[in-house]
Amino acid sequence: MAATGVLPRPKAYDDTFWKPITLWLTTTDHKLIGIMYMVTGILSFVIGGIFALVIRLQLATPNAKVVDPETYNQLISAHGVTMIFFFVTIFLTGIANYMVPIMIGARDMAFPRVNLLGFWLVPVSIILYYSGFFTGGALDAGWTGYAPLTEKAYQSHSLGVDFWALSIIVWAISGIMASTNFLTTIVALRAPGMKLTRLPLFVWAQISTSILLLVVGAPLAAAMILVEFDRQLGTQFFTTQGRPVLYQHLFWFFGHPEVYIMILPGFGMISEIIPVFARKPIFGYMSMVAALFGIVFLSMTVWAHHMFTVGMNTYVEGFFMLMTMLIAVPTGIKFFNWIATAWWGSIEFTVPMKFVFGFLATFLIGGITGVYLASVPVDTQLHQSYYVVAHLHYVLFGGSVFTIFAGIYYWFPKITGRMLNRTLGEWNFWTLFVGFNGTFLIMHTLGLEGMPRRIATYTNEAWATTNLIITVSSFLIAFSVLLFLINVIRSWNGGEIAGDDPWLANTLEWATTSPPPPYNFERVPPVRSFMPLRDLRESGELEAETPSAPAPVHV
Amino acid sequence: MRVTLRALVWTFGLIVAVVLVSSCGIGGLSPIFPTPVSPNGQDIYNLYEIISVPAIIIFIAVEASLLWVVVKYRRSRQPAGYVPPQIHGNTRLEIVWTIAPLIVVLAIAAYSFDILQKNFQPISPSNYTIVVSGHQFGWNYTYPENFTIHQEGTLAGDVTPFVVPTHRLIRLQFQGTDVIHSWWVPAISGKTDAVPGYDNFSWLNISTEGTYRGECAELCGVGHSTMQIIVQAVSEATFNGWVQEQLAAQQKANATPSPSPSPSPSPSPSASPSVKPSASPS
Repeated sequence: MAATGVLPRPKAYDDTFWKPITLWLTTTDHKLIGIMYMVTGILSFVIGGIFALVIRLQLATPNAKVVDPETYNQLISAHGVTMIFFFVTIFLTGIANYMVPIMIGARDMAFPRVNLLGFWLVPVSIILYYSGFFTGGALDAGWTGYAPLTEKAYQSHSLGVDFWALSIIVWAISGIMASTNFLTTIVALRAPGMKLTRLPLFVWAQISTSILLLVVGAPLAAAMILVEFDRQLGTQFFTTQGRPVLYQHLFWFFGHPEVYIMILPGFGMISEIIPVFARKPIFGYMSMVAALFGIVFLSMTVWAHHMFTVGMNTYVEGFFMLMTMLIAVPTGIKFFNWIATAWWGSIEFTVPMKFVFGFLATFLIGGITGVYLASVPVDTQLHQSYYVVAHLHYVLFGGSVFTIFAGIYYWFPKITGRMLNRTLGEWNFWTLFVGFNGTFLIMHTLGLEGMPRRIATYTNEAWATTNLIITVSSFLIAFSVLLFLINVIRSWNGGEIAGDDPWLANTLEWATTSPPPPYNFERVPPVRSFMPLRDLRESGELEAETPSAPAPVHV
Repeated sequence: MRVTLRALVWTFGLIVAVVLVSSCGIGGLSPIFPTPVSPNGQDIYNLYEIISVPAIIIFIAVEASLLWVVVKYRRSRQPAGYVPPQIHGNTRLEIVWTIAPLIVVLAIAAYSFDILQKNFQPISPSNYTIVVSGHQFGWNYTYPENFTIHQEGTLAGDVTPFVVPTHRLIRLQFQGTDVIHSWWVPAISGKTDAVPGYDNFSWLNISTEGTYRGECAELCGVGHSTMQIIVQAVSEATFNGWVQEQLAAQQKANATPSPSPSPSPSPSPSASPSVKPSASPS
């Protein structure tokens, strides 16, 4: 008994019908919570995608009447909120929840019950938001919910805005819990030998993400509380008589770092995946870490670049323009380091590596258009136009979503013990790459020609062809996501058995079984560099390990 | 392996083709704004072109190096048993690709700031100010001659034109009366928000007679897409005639008692244009 550590429990207790249900509802295992986060994220992705398809159907032709303007405004708001708050951020929290403790050689998160509570606040937040649809209409002021359009004077027909504000407050609390937990875990629970300078870059990315969310989560909740005060208690913070622009400051002080909350973990994944498939160590580990923190610092000093047309002092605008452009420098460092890592490598183009290169090719475009948008005079033309929609999808879809797919194809074998189907994966990548660029590349031109974002329909015939091409391409994206879902569902139980380390990877999560046992490691491997598993493989210690199947242990 | 390589080349080829086609400006795929008719719009246009030079160079260089890596360093192209050099970094190289982008963005920022100072200062020497007031869902233009044009939004976009003379520096004073709106006519210049509580300023000086279309660019409610803008630039003489017509029409309307034409609840006719009420975090 001492050898396996199995607690003697009545057999009937485990075998009841309720076992799986109580297991998932009450688990504090970071891996199961991570899976629940990820599944929630993917479901949100599908729902947000359906919203997007309806939006594209409405915009496919001029003067279309697929949905009425009020429904349209609710759809664009729900699309944005779902994708940003409930998909990308939640999914990335999930994958970090699963991977970070294993990558640093810990048995669980520092606060497993906070982790449990933090996760279960997410469905609460999601249900709160969608409740708005049953009270006469959800939020209809865009995902940014600019006041005074959200105020009672202009939005009194439903409780949608109130449910949105409550939902975001709950979401922010959940995010603050997760961030605190990640930081404590990474500081306190590292395995012997896992110095800070040996942390995998994905873990460093999670540190920077957590710092950001910890700092900006509270101002977001504060803004939402003030919106609620205005609506329900008759205060005048952001009303027509108040200071509507103050809302924009508070919102974007969260909103811009949120962009980096959604991309830095992706940067971390790219930094993990390229070295594995190029068979080279990451180029410039220290400058990668420094660049992360450069981005963290700069991203909190750029929020007003979303507000260049509200009429700020030109010196203030100049400051925010300069800081925004400076972000190109640390991002450029990361980009060049990735290319240098792959240079002279022996690159195996597995599906995750394809998504990595798809990310590099598209994210670059998002980065370059970002410099145009940062320039104040040019931004006064591009702001709130379809150019911005194209830009933000290049960084959020070409950026975050491509890294998420790369991460899923890379870590799915670890999480389920089975490989995702490679042929379906290739199809998934190519249809997504073509569909994505087909949708968003020409969208830039719509903005340049004067099509504002968030208009429910348009009369200008010159925009019709471009919009039709975009709509057709967007359905190719939907087809690609369908292939992905089929692949995941088929491979979850029926995929090829992966083994502990199918990719010959570098980091600790591949040193344990696939899927890892509840306690993660029977014996935590020694850590001598930032590539501990490779060290073991090269020194022959890995072969010496007895590959015995671990007994189930409850810790 | 070979199939995917070909697919890759095809995809990049397609993207390049799309970019090329769009740069010819065929069929609603313009790579740049409409030709501007006002000097501030022209400056933005020029700035956009200048930023495009480093942007295109960097785009081509980085995409080419990515393509090079993809083609040249794939495992199937490497000799059997090839072990890549285990390089951990190169400080000199890393300093180069920190400093070089820094210089590029500083140059772009400095040039942009110069344009910003030149064209976005509200103190333009003009004694002709038109007050543009946004509401759900339309614009009111109050001329110095004391009459107001009501440009109410319509689904078809056939709104009452906002008539201005060519070759005259006109200052626009933006006011918001309910929610935030944004006045945008791409052929003239960038957009300016009409925010309740304070006034924003912009200007135009149109060189060519013609009709220029725009739209409200800030989501302002269900009628957002109807809130379209038509600017009609006419010659000085035509404009003066038109002003007389408007004044005569107004006099006739005033003779017979009628409800007041334009509600203007905006309480702040602030003299100092750079007044900024929003709190800035210290």
